[in-house]
Amino acid sequence: MIPFIQTTLDGLMVGSSYGLLALGFALIFGVMRRLNLSYGPSIMIGAYLGTLLYIKFGPPTYVVAIVAVAGSVMAGIYVERLCFAPLGVGAGVASMVSSFAIWMQLEQASLLMLPRHSYPFPSLTGGELWSLGPFVVRPDYLIMLAAMLAMSAALTLLLYRTRFGLGLRAIVENSLAASLSGIDVERTMLKAFALASAIGGVAGFLVLSANQQVTAMLGMWATLKGLIAMMIGGLGSIPGAIVGGLALGVIEAHSQNLFGPQVRDLAAYAVLFVLLVLRPGGILGTTAVRRGMGQRGGDRWTTT
Amino acid sequence: MDDHLIGIVSNIGVISFVALSAYLLLLTGEISFGQQAFFAIGAYTSGIVTAMWQLPFALGLGAGAATGAAAALLVGLPTLRLHGLQFAIATLAFAEAVRILFELFRYQIVRDGELVGPNGIEGFRNIRYIFENDVSATEFMLIIYGLLGATLFGLFLLERSRLGTAFRMIGEDDLLAATQGVAVVPVKLTAACLAGTIAGLGGGLYAHLTTYVEPAIFDVMLGVHSLAYGLIGGLGTAFGPLLGVVIDIGLLESTRWFAGYRMIVFGGLVAVLLIVRPRGLLDEQLVHRIRRAVRRRPRPSPANDTVLGKELS
Amino acid sequence: MEAMLEIADVVTAYGKIEALKGVSLSAAKGRITCLLGPNGAGKTTLMMSIAGALKPRQGSIRLEGSELVGLSPARIVGNGVALVPENRLVFPQMSVRENLLAGAYQRNDSGEVTADIERMYARFPRLKERREQLAGTLSGGEQQMLAVARALMSRPRLLLMDEPSLGLAPIVVKEIFGIIAELNREGVTIFLVEQNAHLALQVAHHFYLMEQGRVTFSGNPGELAEDEVIKRAYLGTRRSAG
Repeated sequence: MIPFIQTTLDGLMVGSSYGLLALGFALIFGVMRRLNLSYGPSIMIGAYLGTLLYIKFGPPTYVVAIVAVAGSVMAGIYVERLCFAPLGVGAGVASMVSSFAIWMQLEQASLLMLPRHSYPFPSLTGGELWSLGPFVVRPDYLIMLAAMLAMSAALTLLLYRTRFGLGLRAIVENSLAASLSGIDVERTMLKAFALASAIGGVAGFLVLSANQQVTAMLGMWATLKGLIAMMIGGLGSIPGAIVGGLALGVIEAHSQNLFGPQVRDLAAYAVLFVLLVLRPGGILGTTAVRRGMGQRGGDRWTTT
Repeated sequence: MDDHLIGIVSNIGVISFVALSAYLLLLTGEISFGQQAFFAIGAYTSGIVTAMWQLPFALGLGAGAATGAAAALLVGLPTLRLHGLQFAIATLAFAEAVRILFELFRYQIVRDGELVGPNGIEGFRNIRYIFENDVSATEFMLIIYGLLGATLFGLFLLERSRLGTAFRMIGEDDLLAATQGVAVVPVKLTAACLAGTIAGLGGGLYAHLTTYVEPAIFDVMLGVHSLAYGLIGGLGTAFGPLLGVVIDIGLLESTRWFAGYRMIVFGGLVAVLLIVRPRGLLDEQLVHRIRRAVRRRPRPSPANDTVLGKELS
Repeated sequence: MEAMLEIADVVTAYGKIEALKGVSLSAAKGRITCLLGPNGAGKTTLMMSIAGALKPRQGSIRLEGSELVGLSPARIVGNGVALVPENRLVFPQMSVRENLLAGAYQRNDSGEVTADIERMYARFPRLKERREQLAGTLSGGEQQMLAVARALMSRPRLLLMDEPSLGLAPIVVKEIFGIIAELNREGVTIFLVEQNAHLALQVAHHFYLMEQGRVTFSGNPGELAEDEVIKRAYLGTRRSAG
């Protein structure tokens, strides 16, 4: 029983990083009904800038964190300006492919900065372990869990208690009516994008400091994990992102424990596939989406 | 032609099959991140048929195409009622699961004192049929382009048929198509199967071209690339995806221009291109105009164009 | 009569198709101006062009002398123009109160906004009853009232209304037109698109008729009622919906 609980705990810990990533993804998808494949690579740009600074000058860790988040926001704004803002409503596929093209760009830019496969990254806690009775937890991951809960609470407050949130929700419901009400749709979307990238930047920084290293796989990893967690939890919903992230973490931890690392990924994809077929709206389903960030009737983000 | 050039041209031909496969689904309005899975299944199957069972090449290709179609049917049944992002992610999950299954897949026999067959993450080496049977690189390139030409011809016939019209109708608006009497699910399933067949056939050619496949080749990157090809080249005609492949592999990957900055240049170009032409270089309007110019006299719009009339207004 | 809105030679096109082929008209300050015309005449296109949701290809749209063409919809709202769009377009998953707040998005006087919401509740008691209900659950008439109230929340100098009677029961239409007259008595300039000429005759001070992207008639209610063509098409055999 104790190993089982320990594995579950481990899963929840790792899952909190997925949840954080999914939060940013859900914000973008919830508002734009578009998929930003460059989400992970934007985080990678921030992380690589932070790493570059860390290797060259060894600044305090908080400076690295600030640079990582700022870099991610800058890259996010670049992506929004190039791939989302100029393409009209209904150009969902073009936006997605365009964000993929920029993925290639951001990844190569990162590798030009730091060409090796992996580099050290500063840790927040020195990577120590804490014992809680029979269980072991890593404070790094507790920080991540706390960050995830704090950010989702802050995001919920932002959406439901501020003018910016009101505008954002109005745009999600009907962007024409929103603009006729005096809401600056383009600016609000850009702000939402920057915010999502900032959340991604924080997620990236926390994950890397827990791992104490950064690898060239970061971009793809962050996009895929964030996307899968969001899909498992429920499209574009904040509670869904958290539930999805934690569920993905637990599924991975148990299947890795039972069958090894290859089956870990297989299990995650299999669960995702079966879930999509049986319950396309994700665990928290459509109602959660509607309550969370609104969803337009027909999900026609696809072609045309 | 020197060997290097033949290699590049053959590669373009083979990758065009996955691009066409993704394009076919795009016509019905669905985005698949997973066509590389059928490409992989076709590659492994045809490799097993020729290199391990030592059956003729044509049989290998046929088996690759058939397993591609069968797999597409199997995945299509549960997933085709999904839409948009859900469908896209379901195909992604399937394709990644397939890739990992190939990482776990071991099936080897001894042939001429050597172990042959898929060996998990190491991949499947020595699919040497074309060398053992003295097919030259040029001949193999001609085989690839013969089959690609036949596939394209088939797609052209398809696009002029009622089925092709039904594809585009569903792509525009499946509810509207249903009210016009199009049986949406069977038509989509047909599209998925055809797409699987094309990818499977391409996979068989790929395995024999490179003589070696490994699971890592068939990752999400290949899937998203094949989707991007259609969008870069254009969604108006089956030549669109081909143009996309030629631009990417032919111009950028093969020439050593911009070495080290290739992705920065290519990524930027594609992003700017999509701002100017969100449905690719050869989009429906351009294709329509070319067709009219070729016919030299104005004609009432064929069925296809009324379906797409929304785009013009 | 001083003009609130002056539209000169406006051309708005969708691709190659010109929906407005050089429209000129004006709306007098403190009055109700009504635009009549068949479906497809370009009435909604004109409204969207004034509100900035569509960009005219040429021509000018002036609000008390200042040019609106080229401004974003948000800036136009800031300048004092609010549109009650065709089919209402309320935010269905937001509460009635949040819909009203969205209408006041540009205002920075939160105390006054709260007071204005109370004023809307006083004017539309049914919205008060349903203040925390999601707008999507309201009846068509209630949604229309919400759309009007939302537009008023920006404290517009000019209120544009695109077919406020569309799809509503006759009794509700009557109520809406009562409110239009009331708002106008309080000093709001109104530019109204309507297909129901009988109803419009009861409230409007000036009429325009638009057909195929052009203004083909301009006159006061008396002139409208005497015009033979209009009589046949808009007043004659057609029964009043009100």
